[in-house]
Amino acid sequence: MEPRYVIGIDLGTTNSALSYVENRPGADPFALPKVELLDIPQLVNPSEMRDENLLPSFLYIPGATDFPAGSIALPWDPQPETVVGRLAQKRGIENAGRLVSSAKSWLSHGGVDRTAPILPFRAPEGVPKYSPVEASRRYLDHLRHAWDSQMPDAPFTQQHVLVTVPASFDAVARDLTLKAAEQAGYQNITLLEEPQAAFYAWIERHPDWRERVTVGDLILVVDIGGGTTDFTLIAVTEQSGELSLERVAVGEHILLGGDNIDLALARLVADQLAQQGTKIDNFQLQALWNNCRTAKEKLLEPGNKKDEAPVTILGKGTGVVGGSIKAKLQRADLERLLSDGFLPAVSSNDMPARQRRAGLQELGLPYAADAAMTRHLARFLRQQASTAEHGGVRRGPSGLACPTHILFNGGVLNAGLIRERILGVLNSWLAEESLPPVQQLSGEDLMHAVSRGAAYYGLARRGRGVRIRGGVPRTYYVAIESAMPSVPGFATPLKALTVVAFGMEEGTDLRIPNREFGLVVGEPAEFRFFTSAVRKNDQPGDLIEDFGDDLEELAPMEVDLPAEQNTADVVPVSFETVVTETGMLQLWCVARDGRRWKLEFNVRERVAA
Amino acid sequence: MSRIPLAFRAFFAILFQGILSDKLKRDLGLAPSPVRPAAPAAPPPPNPAHALQLLAILQRDSRLVDFLMEDIASFDDDQIGAAVRSLHDQARDSLARYLSLQPVIDGVEGAYTRPATADPAAVKFIGNVPATKPEGGTLRHKGWRAAKVELPALNAKQDATIIAPAEIEIE
Repeated sequence: MEPRYVIGIDLGTTNSALSYVENRPGADPFALPKVELLDIPQLVNPSEMRDENLLPSFLYIPGATDFPAGSIALPWDPQPETVVGRLAQKRGIENAGRLVSSAKSWLSHGGVDRTAPILPFRAPEGVPKYSPVEASRRYLDHLRHAWDSQMPDAPFTQQHVLVTVPASFDAVARDLTLKAAEQAGYQNITLLEEPQAAFYAWIERHPDWRERVTVGDLILVVDIGGGTTDFTLIAVTEQSGELSLERVAVGEHILLGGDNIDLALARLVADQLAQQGTKIDNFQLQALWNNCRTAKEKLLEPGNKKDEAPVTILGKGTGVVGGSIKAKLQRADLERLLSDGFLPAVSSNDMPARQRRAGLQELGLPYAADAAMTRHLARFLRQQASTAEHGGVRRGPSGLACPTHILFNGGVLNAGLIRERILGVLNSWLAEESLPPVQQLSGEDLMHAVSRGAAYYGLARRGRGVRIRGGVPRTYYVAIESAMPSVPGFATPLKALTVVAFGMEEGTDLRIPNREFGLVVGEPAEFRFFTSAVRKNDQPGDLIEDFGDDLEELAPMEVDLPAEQNTADVVPVSFETVVTETGMLQLWCVARDGRRWKLEFNVRERVAA
Repeated sequence: MSRIPLAFRAFFAILFQGILSDKLKRDLGLAPSPVRPAAPAAPPPPNPAHALQLLAILQRDSRLVDFLMEDIASFDDDQIGAAVRSLHDQARDSLARYLSLQPVIDGVEGAYTRPATADPAAVKFIGNVPATKPEGGTLRHKGWRAAKVELPALNAKQDATIIAPAEIEIE
C-alpha cells in the first residue's frame, strides 16, 4: 500500500527533528510539495509537557531522588524508564552522571563496543547504562510516539520513513543506525546522508534551481552542528540532456562543532575572571558555557555593533545579587578565537594536526586533535585532488578541488561572521588557483533543513522531484593475509581485496571476480574489514598492497556457516556485494551451488582484541 | 391551571399535614420560582496551589523569589543591574509562555481614550472624576490582562507549598 506520508527524521548529535510531506501519487508533478515540521511534545519540566519543534538528543536515567513521583509520565507511557528531550538536557546539567549525550558520536566510534551498555560514559557505580544504539532507539521511539499522538489516522509504521546519517558515517555506523530504527519499531526505513538532505532542502525552497547551477558546477556543503563538522561535494552533471546531481565526495568524521567554540569562550572568560581573583567551579562553568553561547549569538547577530556582551553567573544560593559574578565577553576576544583558533586563514596546503595515535589512548570520544575547521576543509579539498580523476570534480591548476557554490547547514552557521570567515578563506584559495569566488546558496532555517530535505527526498524517490546520484561514498576492502612467511616482530603483511567500489549505486549487486575462499562450516569465519574515503579508483576484485595510511579499519565482518549433513567441511565461496535500495551495504558469501550467507558486523570482537 | 384540584390539594395538605409542601407553595404562587435567572455563580474557592505554582515557575526560570527575598540594600546599583538583567529576560519569557499578558486598553498612553466598558475592575477613573460616568479621558496606564492562562497540570502528589527545593551538592 502507498504510504500517505513521507517522514524525514534528522537524528542529530544534539537535536533531532521530524518533517513530513503528503504523498499524493496522483498529484500534479509540477505542483510544489508542502513539507511541514511536526511539533514534538516532550517534558520540558517535571509534570509539564510542551510542544517544541526540536527534540534535544539527550537521555536522562532518573534515580529515586531525581523527580517527584508521577512527574515524568508521558501521554503514551505512564512510567517511563528514562527521560528524553528538553527535561533530560536540563536535569543533566545538574547531574551529569546520569545523562547520556552525543550518543550519535559514540555510534560512529569504532574504539568501543557500540551495542554494549557503556553510556553515560562516566556514570557512577550503580547507575544503569545504555548502549549508543539503545539511546538512539529511545530518541527514535519518542519521535514515533510524537507522530502517533498527533496523526491518529496515519500510523507511523505505515508511512515511509527517512532517517539521516552524517555522510562520514561508515557502513558499521549506518548499520547500527538502521538497527536502532528497527528496534524502535520503524518499518520502511531509508537512510540518507545529511549534507544531501540539506541540499534537497535547498532544492525544495528553490524550484527554479536548474537556472541557478550549470553543468560542471561543484557544490560544497559545509555542515557544522553542535558536535560535528561534515563536508560533502556535489557535482552538477548532465544525463540524457537533463541536469543531474552527483555526490562525488564526503569528508571524514570530524568531532568538532559549535559546542567547542562555546566552551572555548567560557574557558576564556573563566581565565579572565581568575586573573581578577574570581575562581569558578565546574558547575558555574556550565552556566558560563550556556551564557557565553547566548552572548556569542548576540554579538554575531547581523547589525550588532557592540564591543562586548555581558555574561552574568547568578549566585548559587538564595543570594542572587550578592553571589552573582559579572563578566563580559569582548567582541575582540570572540573574533580572535575564531580567526586564530577555529577558522584561521590558512593556506590550502595547510593540513590539520594528525590524530594522536598513542598506544594507550584515553577512552572516550576521539575528538578532533586540531580545532581549526579551515584546516580540515583544506585537507578535504586536497584529498579530492590527490586521488585520480573521478566524476566531474572541478579542479584548480594545483589539483585542489574548487567548488563554485557553497551551501551552509547547521545552527552554528546562522552566525554571519562565521559564514564570512569560511567564505573568505575559501575564496583566498580560489584566488590562488585564479578562479572566481564561490557563490553562496542561500539556505534558510539551518536547524530544520536536514529533516525537511529528507522528507522531500522521500518524495523524490517516489518519482517526484530531482534525485542526487551518489552511491556508496567510500571504497571497502576485505583483508587477505598474504602467503609470505611471517617474520618475528612483524605482522604478516596484509593485502586488501576491493569488495565495494566508490560510487556503487543503490539497488545494485556485484559478484567479486577471481577470488574464492574456503569457509569451514560450523565455526565462525571472520574477515578484517577496511574502508577508504580517498582511494576512489580501486575496482572490485583489485588487490591492494602497500596502502599505508589510506585505509581505516572497521569492525570485522563475520559469517557462520551452519554445519549440515552431506556437505564438505570446507565450502568454497566467493563474495557478493549488495547495496540495497535503502542505501545499506551488505556482503554475502555465495557458494558454487548458489547458497548464500550474509556477513554481519561484529562490533564486539575488535574491542576485545 | 385548574383551580379546583389545586384548592383540594391545598385543603387536604393543611388538613392532614398542617403545612403546605414547597411544591404546593410554588404551584399556589406563594414561593419564588426556582428557575429564576441564576445569581452570579460564586467563583470556585481560589486554589492556592496555582498561585504557588506560578511563583515556583518564576523562581525556577528566573529566580525571582530569591531576588525579592534578598536584602539588596547593601549592594551597589551596578551589581543589582547585572543580576536583574538576566533575571528580567527569563522572568519575562515565563510570563509570556504561561500567561500571555496583554494591555486592557490597547491605546497610546497620554492620548484621549473612550473606554468600551465602565467595569471598575477593568477601567479605573482617576483625577477630577465627574459625578456621572465620564465618556473618556487621558489614558495613563494601559492595564494588564492575562489573555490566556496555560499553567501545567498540577501534580496531585506533590507538595504545592514547596516553591523551590533545597539544593544539596555532592562533591
